[in-house]
This record gives sequence, structure tokens and C-alpha cells, in this order.
Amino acid sequence: MFENIALAAPELFTLTTMMLMLAGTLAGLLAGAVPGFTIAMAVVLVLPFTFSMSPVQGLATMIAVYVGGLSGGLMSGILTGIPGTPSSVATTFDGYPLARSGKPGLALGIGIWSSFFGGVFAAIVLMLVAPQLALIGLEFQPVDYFSLIIFALTVTASLAGDQMVKGLMSGLLGLLVATVGSDVVFGQPRFTFGVDAAEQGFAFLPVLVGIFAFGRLLGDVQNREKAHQPLGGEAHAVHIDYLGAAREVLRRWGNVLRSSAIGVFVGVLPAAGSTISNVLAYDQAKKTSKEHDQFGKGAVDGIIAPEAANNATAGGALIVMMALGLPGDIMTAIMLGALLIHDVIPSPSFITDEPTIAYAIFLAFFVANFMMLALQSVTVRGFVLITKVKLYMLSAVILFYCALGMFALNNVTWDMWTLFFFGIVGFLMRALGFPIVPLVLGVVLGGIAEARLSQVFARSDDVMVFLSRPWSLFFLMLACFSIFFPLYQKHRGKAAWTGYYPSLLLVVMAYPVFLMPGTIRPVIAAGMIVAGLGLAVLQLRRGRAPQTTE
Amino acid sequence: MTLNRDFFVAVFFLVLVAVMYAATYSLPEPMFNQLASWTWPRVILVPLGALSVVLLIQSQTSGLEPATFSGLTDWFRDNTNPFLCFALFFGFLYLMPLLGMLLGGLLYVFLTLCVLGGWQPRQMALHVAISAVFVVGMWSIFSLALGVVLPEGTILRVY
Repeated sequence: MFENIALAAPELFTLTTMMLMLAGTLAGLLAGAVPGFTIAMAVVLVLPFTFSMSPVQGLATMIAVYVGGLSGGLMSGILTGIPGTPSSVATTFDGYPLARSGKPGLALGIGIWSSFFGGVFAAIVLMLVAPQLALIGLEFQPVDYFSLIIFALTVTASLAGDQMVKGLMSGLLGLLVATVGSDVVFGQPRFTFGVDAAEQGFAFLPVLVGIFAFGRLLGDVQNREKAHQPLGGEAHAVHIDYLGAAREVLRRWGNVLRSSAIGVFVGVLPAAGSTISNVLAYDQAKKTSKEHDQFGKGAVDGIIAPEAANNATAGGALIVMMALGLPGDIMTAIMLGALLIHDVIPSPSFITDEPTIAYAIFLAFFVANFMMLALQSVTVRGFVLITKVKLYMLSAVILFYCALGMFALNNVTWDMWTLFFFGIVGFLMRALGFPIVPLVLGVVLGGIAEARLSQVFARSDDVMVFLSRPWSLFFLMLACFSIFFPLYQKHRGKAAWTGYYPSLLLVVMAYPVFLMPGTIRPVIAAGMIVAGLGLAVLQLRRGRAPQTTE
Repeated sequence: MTLNRDFFVAVFFLVLVAVMYAATYSLPEPMFNQLASWTWPRVILVPLGALSVVLLIQSQTSGLEPATFSGLTDWFRDNTNPFLCFALFFGFLYLMPLLGMLLGGLLYVFLTLCVLGGWQPRQMALHVAISAVFVVGMWSIFSLALGVVLPEGTILRVY
């Protein structure tokens, strides 16, 4: 590991790269602070500038924006009560009351230090876990990788909850979009319907920007009154109490560690992201805190938990992207696109094949957290200025910028038409109640899935290979469980069968783990069976009474 | 039968699946053990079709209100701003060969700002300034600093 760090450090620690990262962090902090302007949009806007940079410079800049964006949300959340991004929703629960009680500097400081510690924790976990996970990933055959993609899509769709059918349809539509153009095996035109330009297919970045940024921006200006409102509420610059806040945060190090761990774990799950982790960590902090009656009134733990968790989530998402080449959320999907532009193909062998880039990403994530810490004071002043801008002004300029940036991708007008077309698709799908994330992941993963499937068929046309390979079976079974997960969530505590769902999951999943080579994994499988049976017995002893949940 | 929003969505998807599935028959046959061009699309289309049927059934049991013509017109009225933006963006792309990125961009951003923000003289002056600063600024960054050859447009090429 240290050899690779030594290789990557000179690439990253150049004056140009550091300046770019500083600019990226600042841009991310400001973008994250502006309500309605998501981090993903900020990363998307930075993307075209990275085309002319080296892979290390480009990715380091994007990571800086990502980290800055995750921390920027706390500013508006604490100072105005309006969360800058969905990832800082829970921060407002206690940050705003504390600021209103006359301690805005302390509230901001606590948020900043928590974000910093959460980020550093995730950076360390990323450096330690990603290479190990990649080693497991190297065991994957194309068939396993294909099943992993299926699992990623089903779990993403399952997060749509009651809209599971629409979530699955959205994911499949994304896969279908990726089939347009030249086919993977023969390079022959497919689904072009006589349009010559369609032979090049839909580049996934214009699709992604169209669906996500374009559709969202137009959603923001839908209401005429809202479009004329300034971006933020009434915000005033304050002096951040770094020292006092650091003392408060360090006194509650247990909460910092727990919330960071929750953040990393949620980040590893496909499509879960910081929107979920900040609320989950807040909830856990409330349950375990001795001052839980203070929650909602300005509790320090209530600020620490969501901020540590949302920054740590970025590390978790990067673990999966780096180790397995799978994007877990919109941000990592864009980064995957950036890697592809630089002819770097993320896969389980990525860390081994491209150690300089991989470890530069690790280091950049680490460094960006320090930059975020240093730049927060400057950003508070910038944020106060930005909040005066009206939403419609920002939307009009960004729409033009999106077109310019997407043209710069391949220097073809077709990409701008793609942006336009998928802008409409994204807007309509939102209006019709379809979740967007499965669609985006479907587009990103469609080409990879087909390539892996073609490799499977090149070796054998026996479809039983999907069930005979332990890893493939493992992911397909997980995919099945994830399909039923919304049903489990809906009926948990009400239907008796839900009490046995976790036990069944453990026992059934033990089978493919047991089939895996080595001695440790069969032992783990045995442990899973024991745990599963134990849970089932406990459930039986409860007299088949339904569990009560909050 | 209730003709609600999800019903029409499901029907649209069924038609899409049928069209795409029919189109797979014009794709070439595989050689040796290779994956045929049509295999992967069909793997996608079959469950997509099945889910569309599920959505169709759900639409009849979900209790969603039937879609009406007035409901549709209300929806269009509520979304006037986005539709105007889409129309302007279409115009921007359509006129790109003539106006190029710079002139087209200036016109597009100015018109979008005015459509969304208003046409009062003071607002228009502000919109002209915003368009000029941001469009020329970004155009300069991309074409001069990053070396991207942006569409020039026949107007600028002639004059």
C-alpha cells in the first residue's frame, strides 16, 4: 500500500492539482450550500472542465467538489433552516435551533468538524478496505459480474418502496437505452430506426445530465413564484467557533465514530447514499444519547451524527466504485464516466492495474477533507452573497452551460440533442412518479452488463452457469431478496412472516457462501446458519407474535 | 376499466416493448458461440413487458382517479415554464448551424431569462448583462482556454 501511495503522491501533490482541488472544494461548498442545487449537479458542471486534464487532476477536482458539496449543505441548514442538499436534512433538526439560540458559530463549527472527522474516517476505511474488496472482486468471472449488476439494479429499484414496479421498469428502461447504437459484439447498428447519428448510441453523460440535472432544473422553475425567489433565506455571515466546536466534538467521539461507520456502510449499498445515511445516523444518535430529550432543540449530538455520516458515505460509495467498478450513486456514476473519458476502465482489477490513479483518488479524498475544513470560513461569506441570486437566473445559465459541456465531450451536436431528449424523458418520468436513479444506473451499467453477458456466452451457452457459480448465485439470491424487501418493510411488525425474513435471508445466503473456496468462507456460512436459526428460534419463542416497530 | 395516468403509462410501455421487440427481428444472427445482437435487448424487453402488464393491472386496483382532458390541460398550464424552456432549448439546438454556440447561446440565455423572469425594461437590462457575462465568459473558457472547437455558425463565418 505504501509503495502505491508513494507512486501516487507526486502525481497528486502538484501545484496545479492542489489549486484545482482548492477551487473544486470551494465550488462544492458553495453549490452544496445553495438549497435546490444538488451536489450531483455541481459535479456534473465541473465534469466538462476535467476533459482536458490528466485523469488524476480531473478525478481529484471532482472528488474535491463532492466532498465540498457534502459539507456545504450544513451552512444553509444551520443558518437558514433550509437544508442545502438532501444529505443535510437532519442537520437542520438541531443545527438551526442551536443557531437560533444565539450560537450560530458554535453550530457551524460542530458541523464542520463532524464533517471533517467523518470524511477522514471514511478516507482511512477506503484506503484499507477498497484494495481488499478488489482482491475478492478479482475472483469474479463475467457471470458473477453480470449477476452483481442485476443485484445492483434490483436493490436500487427496491429503494423506490411502494413504487417498486416503476423502479424496476425505470432500471430496465435505462438498460434498453444503453442498447441503442452499435452492439457490443458485432458493432452493428441496433435500434437506430434509420437515424444515422443514432449509430453512435447515447453517450451516457449527456443522458445522465439530461435526466438528472436538466430535468431537475426545469422542475425548480416550474412554479413562477418559486423561480423568482432568492436561492436561500435570510443568511448572515458569522464567525465560526472552531476551538469551542472541536472540544464539543472530541468529547463525543463515540458518536462521531458510530455515525461515520453508519455513513460508510450506507455508502457501500448501491443507491443508498447520504440522503439516507444522515437521517439514519441522527436516529441512532437520538436513541443512544443521554440527552435525547434535547434532540430537536439544539443538541450537539444531533449535529454531529448527520454531518459525520453524510461525509463518510462518500467514502463508502467510492469503495464500491474503486473495488468493483460499480457506481453506487449518481456521483460515482459521473466519476465512472470521467474515468471512461480518460480511457480508464473501472473493474475489480482497476486498483491493481492503475495503482497511481487509484491511490491518487484515495489521497485526494483524504486531502479534500482538510481543504474543506480550511475553506469553510471563506465560503460562509460567499454563501451569504449567493443566497441573493434568484433561482431562475441560475437555471437559465446552467442549462446553457450543460449544452456547452456536453458538446465538449465528443465535439458532436448529437450529444446536445441527447441531452435535450433525455431532459424531456427525465422531466416526464419524474412527473409520472418514476424513480430516476434506477434509470441512470441502468444506462451506466447497460453496456457493461451486455459485455459481460457476451463473455459468458462466448465460453458456454449453458445458462445454468448463473446458478452453479457461488458468487453469481449469491448475487442473484440477494437480488431476489431485495425485490421482496419493500414488501417486508411495508408489513414489518404487522405480518408474522416478516419476523422470519432476516432468518431466512441468513440461512439461504449461507448456501452460496458455503460453496465458495477456502476454509474461512464455509465457516462464515456455518455462522450464518447458526445465526439465522437462532433468530428463527427467538421469533418462535415470542409466540409468533408480531414485532412492534416505530 | 379506469383510464387513469398509470393506465396510459402502462399502455405506452407495452407499445414501446412491442415496437422494440419487433425491431430485434431485423438484427443479424450470431456466429459460433457469440451473443446475438438481439439476445440482450430481448432479455430486457421480456421483463419490461411483464412489468408493464403488472402496472396495467395495478392501475385498475390502485384507486387512481381517471385522467380527464381538463386534468391534462391543468398539468400543461402548471408546467408552462418547463415547456417554454424546452421549446427555447429546441430552438437553440435547431438554429445552432446558423447562429453557432456564441450567438445562439446569447439569444437562448437572454430569452430564457426573460421568459422566466419577465420583460420589464429593468429586468431585460439585467438579463442582457447576465447573458453577456456568462455566455461570453464560458464560451471564452471553452474555446480559448480549453481549446474546444465550438460550432461557429454560418452567420459568423460569413461576416
